[in-house]
Amino acid sequence: MEITRRNLLKTAAVAGAVAAVADVAEAREGRRAAPDEVGMLYDSTLCVGCRACQTACKVANGLPPDARDASGGEYDAPLDLNATTKNIIKLATDGPASTYMKMQCMHCVDPACVSVCMAGALHKVAGGIVAYNPRTCVGCRYCQIGCPFNVPKFEWSKSLPVVEDPKIVKCELCRHRQEGPACCEVCPRGAVIYGKRTALLAEARRRIAAQPGKYFEDRAYGEVDGGGTSVLYLSPAGVSFQALGLPTLPREPLPQLSETVQHTTYKWGLAPIALYAAVTAVQLRNRKADGAAKEEE
Amino acid sequence: MASHATETPLGGTILTPGFKLLLGLCATWVALVLVRLVWGLHGPAGQDPLLAISNQSDGYPWGIWKPLNVVTFTGIAAGAYAVGLLTYGFNRGEYHGLIRSAVLAGAIGYTLGGTSITVDLGRYWNLWVIFVPQWLNWNSVLLEIALCVLAYNLVLWIEVSPSILERLERSGSPAAAARARAILPRLRKAMPFVISLAIVLPTMHQSSLGGLFMVAVTKTHPFWHTGFLPFLFLVTCVTMGFGAVVALENLTALAWGKRIDQPLLARMSIVPAWLLAAALVVRVGDILWRFRDPAVLARYRLMGHQAFYGSFLLLELGLFAAAAALLFRRSVRENRGKLLGAAFLLILSGSVYRFDTYLVAYQPAAGWRYFPTPLEILFSVSLAAIGITVYVLFVKLFPILSGVEATDAHGTATGAQSAAGH
Ligand code: SF4
Ligand code: SF4
Ligand code: SF4
Repeated sequence: MEITRRNLLKTAAVAGAVAAVADVAEAREGRRAAPDEVGMLYDSTLCVGCRACQTACKVANGLPPDARDASGGEYDAPLDLNATTKNIIKLATDGPASTYMKMQCMHCVDPACVSVCMAGALHKVAGGIVAYNPRTCVGCRYCQIGCPFNVPKFEWSKSLPVVEDPKIVKCELCRHRQEGPACCEVCPRGAVIYGKRTALLAEARRRIAAQPGKYFEDRAYGEVDGGGTSVLYLSPAGVSFQALGLPTLPREPLPQLSETVQHTTYKWGLAPIALYAAVTAVQLRNRKADGAAKEEE
Repeated sequence: MASHATETPLGGTILTPGFKLLLGLCATWVALVLVRLVWGLHGPAGQDPLLAISNQSDGYPWGIWKPLNVVTFTGIAAGAYAVGLLTYGFNRGEYHGLIRSAVLAGAIGYTLGGTSITVDLGRYWNLWVIFVPQWLNWNSVLLEIALCVLAYNLVLWIEVSPSILERLERSGSPAAAARARAILPRLRKAMPFVISLAIVLPTMHQSSLGGLFMVAVTKTHPFWHTGFLPFLFLVTCVTMGFGAVVALENLTALAWGKRIDQPLLARMSIVPAWLLAAALVVRVGDILWRFRDPAVLARYRLMGHQAFYGSFLLLELGLFAAAAALLFRRSVRENRGKLLGAAFLLILSGSVYRFDTYLVAYQPAAGWRYFPTPLEILFSVSLAAIGITVYVLFVKLFPILSGVEATDAHGTATGAQSAAGH
């Protein structure tokens, strides 16, 4: 038998090397929010579901209504975030209890969408805002796979370059507005407020401390979840974050595992270079051996 | 023989009824691409959703084109990698005869995979940005795959090029022949450096194809979400590659009477058996290990559909085990028909595993569903047809099959074809 067990083990070793390094890797550090980073705090117990923010968002971002009634009129009634909806109010139910839920980009502290985007179309800008630059977006939609909140949406109905120019659509915290988020500006109940992330966290803690037991888990979602988000949520005690549509995330940022593996494997390009050198050396040696054998004949 | 092949008017020989059918499918693919380019990935607005070009959505932004056209096609195309590893990495020169056919299949498979990705890009006209170093995000697994697959495509076609040049060398045009004669020796000298790339690049991107889903921690079912994704994808690409080589040898034998070196294939086929056994151990051990973590267990419960996910996992494990069990038996490996069956099982097991990771395991949130539209499937089928078309064309025009015995195989092939043509 030409292929011995030993040879096979060697093959397995080469194949396994790539994955194995991952285990001995020092984990990539999670990114921390800088003190000047901004965000929003949404207190679900204050929201009355008027959708003023939804409309204001459309106006501020020049997005058309997603009309669903038969008349096809101006009535904006999107079912979910989509290519014309960066912000949505939904009803969330958890058993007998129910509340409203506002969804838009969470502006993660260490965002998966930024980690996966090939040429930085999604990237962090001043204030920790996760911004989108269509000029370097190839439309691969990996951000849609990566985002744990399913926030980025694609303009599926468009196709042609320039004329239609399909893009990824998501909330950019109204970074084009001097005044900050339009949704926070119009909220009649102050259910969603804009500010520095640190200040918002303090405010959330203050509300929780003032009325212990009022809020779900007595904590704000987004403080630590998935490495932290800049949009924070308070939910009434009876409605879980899961019921709001906020996934249960590990405390580590989601890109940590993949980036740790990626960077350990490719640190200084050592592994690929070593493999390249080894295979080349084997071939050159064999070629020489072949040549020598031929000369002897 | 060689001159006979050169002089045969190719038209009559090539255009067999089967080949015409293939050409029809190629045209279908071109038509589908045009519709996609003009009207987008969903096709014209307001039509029956059943007629959509693809059923991809904001929930399932990657449909079957990625797992099938890219991940499965390149898995099969990894025959070049698998045999290359044996031949060059482990200095098993006796496998040389398999290389050209496998490399051609590899070049075609990867070209199709790359084409499919590009057509699927929502903003394909921006693809040039991946060549601007200062913009690149090296954290992106997809970037690594994109650059690596592009480079590997180039490498594969360079590996194919000697066959083309050898044909030119014997061509009627003295100028072309002279040029081919000038390039060939230099190319042969440089080949080891190219071949090493052909080992390194697939090792990198085939593992990364699995790494793509590591970031989707909460959206990939815990049966499939593991730090071993890169390892498992690398292993399955090699096992699929071996399966593809055996299948290809048999298919070319069937079509053009190519002689098969069964003992050689039998010897080689023990490798995927061991690899699959290793993959099985890792797969099962890894799941058992991870499920001790309450968070993983909670995620498993949350995703629900336990019978659904469970049966896909069992199917996968069963296929892995069956393929390995068959290939461990000498009687199977040495029997042409049985080995072919096991080879198909190899391809199937790898494909199912890869498909599962990309689609079955992926659950963005409650309420999202995905099933490919008929046209979406047709897109993949017709793309595969293009691959077969190009392969058939190449083996008829250039010395591909069985390396040095190419003239023989070629003569036989031409003879058989012209007989069929009359
Ligand atoms: S919510 Fe999604 S899109 Fe927004 S920053 Fe986080 S990962 Fe990116
Ligand atoms: S679709 Fe655009 S923004 Fe999203 S990951 Fe791809 S390149 Fe980045
Ligand atoms: S910050 Fe601006 S874009 Fe984001 S949800 Fe509010 S209004 Fe919409």
